[in-house]
Amino acid sequence: MTHTHSLPESASNRKAYMTLIMISFFCLIPFFWVLLAAFDPNATQFLAIPKDVTVAHFWNLFANESGLRWIVNSVLIVGLATLLTLIFAGFGGYALSRTKAWWKRPLLYAIILVRIVPPPALIVPVYKVMLALNDMVNSVIISITDNVEHQLVLSRIFSFVDGYLGLILIHTAMQLPLAIWIMKTFFDAIPKDYEEAAALDGASQIQTVRHVLIPLALPGFAAAGLFAFINAWGDFLMPLMFTSSPELQTLPLGMFRAFLRVDAIDYGFLTALAVIYTLPAVIAFSFARKFLTQTFSGGVKG
Amino acid sequence: MSQIELINIKKQFENTEIVKGVDIHIEKGEFAVIVGPSGCGKSTLLRMIAGLEDISSGELKIGGQVVNHVSPDKRGIAMVFQSYALYPHMTVAENIGFALSLQKVDKQEIKQRVKEAAEMLELTALLKRKPAELSGGQRQRVAIGRAIVKRPQLILFDEPLSNLDAKLRVQMRAELMRLHREFGSTVIYVTHDQVEAMTMAQKIIVLNQGKVAQVGKPMALYQQPDNQFVAQFIGIPKMNLLPGAIKDNRFLGECNQDVSLTQTYHNATLVNLGIRPEHVNIDHQGNEWNVILVERLGVETFIHVEANNAQQVVVRLEGNTDVAEGQRVGLIINPDVCFLFDENGERIHPKLDVLNVVQNSA
Repeated sequence: MTHTHSLPESASNRKAYMTLIMISFFCLIPFFWVLLAAFDPNATQFLAIPKDVTVAHFWNLFANESGLRWIVNSVLIVGLATLLTLIFAGFGGYALSRTKAWWKRPLLYAIILVRIVPPPALIVPVYKVMLALNDMVNSVIISITDNVEHQLVLSRIFSFVDGYLGLILIHTAMQLPLAIWIMKTFFDAIPKDYEEAAALDGASQIQTVRHVLIPLALPGFAAAGLFAFINAWGDFLMPLMFTSSPELQTLPLGMFRAFLRVDAIDYGFLTALAVIYTLPAVIAFSFARKFLTQTFSGGVKG
Repeated sequence: MSQIELINIKKQFENTEIVKGVDIHIEKGEFAVIVGPSGCGKSTLLRMIAGLEDISSGELKIGGQVVNHVSPDKRGIAMVFQSYALYPHMTVAENIGFALSLQKVDKQEIKQRVKEAAEMLELTALLKRKPAELSGGQRQRVAIGRAIVKRPQLILFDEPLSNLDAKLRVQMRAELMRLHREFGSTVIYVTHDQVEAMTMAQKIIVLNQGKVAQVGKPMALYQQPDNQFVAQFIGIPKMNLLPGAIKDNRFLGECNQDVSLTQTYHNATLVNLGIRPEHVNIDHQGNEWNVILVERLGVETFIHVEANNAQQVVVRLEGNTDVAEGQRVGLIINPDVCFLFDENGERIHPKLDVLNVVQNSA
């Protein structure tokens, strides 16, 4: 049946595909450049096929610069923030899905409203709050130990400003609203029948959560976790605001500061860093994809 | 002593009373069906027995113990949900064995009991599958397997067949009855389908607007309904009602029917005469009724007739008939099998004939 129209259709199709391919290629050029330049010993700001292939830029990143430290910091901070986000969003989303309280709707809209405020608008008040909390933490640390070495280590971990805990918590707070919404919507789609069946099977609350609710909500957790991880991973503002010491530097900050160096810009180094920076997000996506596409059907009908 | 006793059970949601004081006794091993139209409170009642819903007032006893505040898993019951509620991430075997594994039953024994349940339900070949890979009837059987593996003293069914197609439903009905015979557990089965109630039940509890309309054996409800609601709810097509009055032991209908009653009744106005379609016949001589629809099913024929005042009656005839739509006919009502209901829908019983009583007791 396509034969009757095949000529004009395929011609217009061909034109459409050509246009699309050209647009796609144009969009992909920056990515090609990053990939090629990262392995090009003479990387410039122009797109060029490298004459030699080298991993010297990567070697430079890990051996001469503190690339490894930046990666560890980023993975640690963003990973823990994602974990915390998932825990809170799991509980919060479930509660918001099941409650029939009058404040359910207002609260849900308030959560969305929070996301409307652009984060830079919050820099000053958030910094004030974090600073106050920081003073509290520091006074606690000082009261615990007199050893200055120990004080330094503890404050590096638990400080709200220029410490891991502060960055983890602020990332969690930033990612929580969307994650709660995702989980709430997801739990809405899980019929209460499963929990009731579990109750009749003799499952305690914890057993119901562990054996029934979490397995059923896995795709939701994967979606919420992926969004949280990728958003926090790409966030530049929070590390910029709340870290100053080089030991706490994360990947986006490391890249930014490398770009700002006064001497000539090392494109090879920057693109190698960009490749490394992109990898975890890709890994996180492929990891989450397994669960995202996993849909549970057939359990209930009606 | 009955195994399950509901004593003046009530359920309130905020200001509306869903269940308005229900008393039911169910004996050990009995297959009891709670039937009623949607919204009559039957599912709420079942959920209260299961412990999924609080009891607002009244007492629920299982095996003589008051269990109002006992958690669902401690009541010795199992429930088959309308939606089946099979855990989709578990295999059939894991679904059936879940309750046992929570009780920390020995792994070997779980395997054995799952195997037994699966054999009983012909699920052995499917034990490694996930619910998504099963047909509706197979899922239904897994849901039943999950209930019987616990060896409960009471199994609750909440409209278990409503998701199946008509053919499978008939098949599952027979299978459920077979399982009940083999297993011997007490069963409480909720449905809105009076056919399921009539075919399966040893005891039917008809529920209407949160109250028990009548309790009894299927044929007792069919032959001796206590009220107009039960009379119309049990039996397909439903019982015809003709408004009229009783005068001098004759029923005088608004559509000129004159039925001489075979038992003695007090005179009354505003009564309904109830007569099942199978107890009405067509009178070819008459002309008060207009035939509006003839449904021929082979073994039987349903003839819908209408009077001038829009009153409708359904007549069931054996086999085929030559009555045609548009024809005018009369109706012959069998006075031996008609029922009289007062304006509140309650059955009007015949006057006890003093002479009869004396004769009978002699």
